Amino acid sequence: MSMKQALLSSLVLAASTLGIAGIASQGDLVANQKARIAEFAKQPKSRAHVAFVSNGVADFWTIAKAGAIAAGKELGCDVTVEFPGGGLSDQKRMLEDLLIRGVDGISVSPIDPKNQVEVLTLIAEKSLLITNDSDAPAAPRLCYIGMDNYIAGRMCGELARDGCKGGEVAIFIGRLEQDNAKRRRQGFIDGLLGRSSDPTRYDEPSKVISESGYTIVGTWTDSFDRAKAKANIEDVMIKHPKLALVTGLFEYNSTLAVEVFKQSGKSGKILIAAFDEGADVIEGIRKGTVLGTVVQDPYGYGHESVKMLHAFTKGDFSMVPSDGILSIPARVIKKDNVDAFWTDLKAKLEAGKAATKV
Amino acid sequence: MKKSLGIITLFLAICIFTSIYGEGFLSGYNLMNLTQRTALFSILALGAGVVIVAGGIDLSIGSVVCLTGIMTPWLLVEHGWSPWSVIPLVLTMSAAIGLFHGLLITRLRLQPFLVTLCGLLLYRGIARWMTGDQSQGFQGGFEDVRSIALGRFEIPFLGDYRLPATVIPVLVIALLMGFCFSRTVWGRWLLATGRNESAARYSGVPTAWLTTGAYVVCSLLAGFGGMLFIFDTGSAQPSDFGNFYELYAIAAAVLGGCSLRGGEANVLGILVGTATLLVLRTAIILLGLGSQLEFAVIGGVLLLGIATDELVRRYSARRADRVSRVSH
Repeated sequence: MSMKQALLSSLVLAASTLGIAGIASQGDLVANQKARIAEFAKQPKSRAHVAFVSNGVADFWTIAKAGAIAAGKELGCDVTVEFPGGGLSDQKRMLEDLLIRGVDGISVSPIDPKNQVEVLTLIAEKSLLITNDSDAPAAPRLCYIGMDNYIAGRMCGELARDGCKGGEVAIFIGRLEQDNAKRRRQGFIDGLLGRSSDPTRYDEPSKVISESGYTIVGTWTDSFDRAKAKANIEDVMIKHPKLALVTGLFEYNSTLAVEVFKQSGKSGKILIAAFDEGADVIEGIRKGTVLGTVVQDPYGYGHESVKMLHAFTKGDFSMVPSDGILSIPARVIKKDNVDAFWTDLKAKLEAGKAATKV
Repeated sequence: MKKSLGIITLFLAICIFTSIYGEGFLSGYNLMNLTQRTALFSILALGAGVVIVAGGIDLSIGSVVCLTGIMTPWLLVEHGWSPWSVIPLVLTMSAAIGLFHGLLITRLRLQPFLVTLCGLLLYRGIARWMTGDQSQGFQGGFEDVRSIALGRFEIPFLGDYRLPATVIPVLVIALLMGFCFSRTVWGRWLLATGRNESAARYSGVPTAWLTTGAYVVCSLLAGFGGMLFIFDTGSAQPSDFGNFYELYAIAAAVLGGCSLRGGEANVLGILVGTATLLVLRTAIILLGLGSQLEFAVIGGVLLLGIATDELVRRYSARRADRVSRVSH
């Protein structure tokens, strides 16, 4: 063996050892957390302090906060809710600060799970980690609470397929960096085109896809700038005058589509398959200008997160399903169930407002 | 006009290129959208221009847009106030913000960059706290008030083009500013303050009041712009509404010919600078370049335009110098 080959073999051996050590340490961290929960069974916390961290600021998260606060009151534990307004770095800072405060458990919606393994590992080392809304399967989390964004995206795609029998389709979304956005978009595409279910599939955002009588002309992002989001819809309408349907995969994208079509006299002429529960979208469903919307249950995310973390501090691990995913499925809201849904949502929003003032 | 030649040439070049290679650029609907967006951002850019002329900078424009944009539907919808009280209140509050900045800068001698940077954090924070981070919107109502931004006027012989109502306040503000800078003592004094504050002060110019006035105008226009933006979009979220709009406003003013060193005003240039930025954004979609390339294309084209403009100016100056030497 030459010197060069020997060096190479040593490097490969070192890398593989480190790799195995890395995988083992993630497994160890889960085991360590379970051991700590077992210790809580012998000596339960008298009053737990748990935290719920969102991936941004939105009405959606205010409803989740209401759920978290309500669970805290029911169970008699302290709950801290944080909304990072400044993206990834802001979320990291908040998580580190919560660890310094010594919280017993954190439920987080990671913005970029693949690149946040370090901070998520730190939580698992010092506290108890579960994820909500957007999962981080590679991180040492004990459970994921939420829906599968790929399935929810498919539901939206199938909603569009039922209401629009072909033609040009445009996708609008705030940003594509986060895992839930990517999965939601892919689910929509696969659902619309009637493809088989495959969450690992990925169509490039800039690529035009023509299949099954539909042409997906592109995906446009806006980095949460509403003026830009509105301009995107207006400009795409000019670039593609034969547009048959649009989907807004973040709440405000659908709301702005309703607004733009109203202003340009295109309401009902270009269909909308929406996501989340903007007030204008709900009104559009009632009027028939919006096909329907796929809604999640943010209240459930907040409530179940706190309930699970609280159970951990009593040594109870029974809430966690065997596959580590507590599913809170999405629902499709159409003309027939829109009024009942809206009444329930308003009550939760009021609770959210009250929770914000706490 | 001569001063704006560079930016006008760049603007026309982008328009011609996009109308040849892009689809629907010259359609009435697109031109109407572009006019509307240019009008909205111009209000902010004109305000930024006044402060830049006075030798200052205002980084709080985006946050003032957020505060006033959020406050308007919050007071109208959530608290049931009348538009007749909300609009004057919001405008007065905006002017008061400018007065606060101006006094801190001129009386306490704090740096404009720091004062307005703190404002950037403060006003967005207030908007988020006030609304509990909930998005605010008109919920399908107040169409009469929103027509200030959504109104359209038919223009004969221009097909489906409709002139947005927002153009009227922009034209009034631009004409007033142009008149002020070129025909009034106050305008001249402001230019002198921006060019050399100490020299102007020793010449008897009330520089402190003029600088304060510039900040009042800037915040007032930012507040007015914020109201028009929310009337246009219909809803907004306090954490992101108006984010980075100060950078667009400052970039448009500087592109239009206002020097960041102060003392140089160009109202027409500011309007064309704003239009250039917004036409570029639209061009990216109409040319099918993909939104991921947006910032790269805007940055690249502007840099190329500014560098070419500067080189042409130097060449013309050198040529004029040579001609004058030969004639002597």
